[in-house]
Amino acid sequence: MTKAAELAKMGEVITNSQIGGRRNIVINGAMNVAQRGTSQTGISASANESYSTVDRFRFDGGSHGGVLTASQSTDAPTGFSNSFKMDCTTADTSIAAGEYFIFQTSFEGQDVQQFAKGTSSAKPITVSFYVKGNASATYTVELRDVDNSRRNSQEFSVTTDWVRITRTFVADTTGTLDDDNANSFTLQFWLHAGSTYTGGTHTDNVWHNTNNQIVGDNNTSFFDSTDRTFFITGLQMEVGSQATPFEHRSFGEELALCQRYCNALLAYGTGDQTDNRIYNADYANANGMVRMGYPRMRDKPTQNYTISGGTISNDFSCNGLIQLMDDGDTNFYIYDILLEKEL
Amino acid sequence: MEFNSAKYLYDMEGVNKTHIQLNLGNSKFKHIVIDPANTDYQAILEWAKIDGNTIEDAD
Repeated sequence: MTKAAELAKMGEVITNSQIGGRRNIVINGAMNVAQRGTSQTGISASANESYSTVDRFRFDGGSHGGVLTASQSTDAPTGFSNSFKMDCTTADTSIAAGEYFIFQTSFEGQDVQQFAKGTSSAKPITVSFYVKGNASATYTVELRDVDNSRRNSQEFSVTTDWVRITRTFVADTTGTLDDDNANSFTLQFWLHAGSTYTGGTHTDNVWHNTNNQIVGDNNTSFFDSTDRTFFITGLQMEVGSQATPFEHRSFGEELALCQRYCNALLAYGTGDQTDNRIYNADYANANGMVRMGYPRMRDKPTQNYTISGGTISNDFSCNGLIQLMDDGDTNFYIYDILLEKEL
Repeated sequence: MEFNSAKYLYDMEGVNKTHIQLNLGNSKFKHIVIDPANTDYQAILEWAKIDGNTIEDAD
């Protein structure tokens, strides 16, 4: 690139990109936060595909016969501590038309308004990430506009070494995104797909609403062999046509962002009933309550807990406060508490 | 979602249903907010449509 071209590119970036402040829209892109646990076996189309390990990332599978283990791995490129590892444990080499397997993270509509999607001022979006596998492979990264059923996908290659992939998606002047706390936008990776999704003519970097054009014929099936692995980290999605260096955030910042969707209170997962429990505030009286405040989440969460010495009879919790009553017992407490309000 | 039983929980006045309590066994419970927009709640309503499945009223 000539000096003049470099300067022109720099001018474009300064004009059209967010060059300061928080650039990465992806939460937990460095895969450092894993509140629920660090490994999940037996992930299939019918079990365990929702959020189970690294925060903000889940699977979506349809009909396939493959099974995998997902984990937070310390195998990572220089400058990163962790990656998300997928390890195929049961292969599926007969791909029926409707089969699919997707790795994804989703965004509230109010957090992606800066795309100006569906307007004449719509912005391009650049996605970057580091990947590696057990062997060469080709997969597909997709932006999905949930509100308007529109999508744009591009292929990328994986090798046995860590490689940074960057893909810029053209601006979409069709379909505005809802400005609310519901799921409006998903960044996802197609790792297995039947002809329902591959049967048409795939073209990289085109917004459309046709299922059989999402994935190209040369997309690798992650389930083609039990040797298959796929690692990913450093996932970044930013406004503009330039991939900037990955924006590292502190663990505390990233954890706080994750807790809007999943909040593992006290020492969740340890089963500790000594130091990490919420005790009946009225100790010796029936109609006692357990109460604990927490940062407000995306909406009222589903509460998971283990109880000792009682049975909860009433729940007047709200978003930001656990408030549970047992009208028949005294010395009761709850522990191993997990609050979830994922997208 | 696997659980042994489901029942409604009420507010302090005992008037309004606020949550569905799922008994997961081994003293583990899950409370799902009653909200038509809540996907967990939608899943329980689908479960309740199957013959033999019932969301019990509060004790």
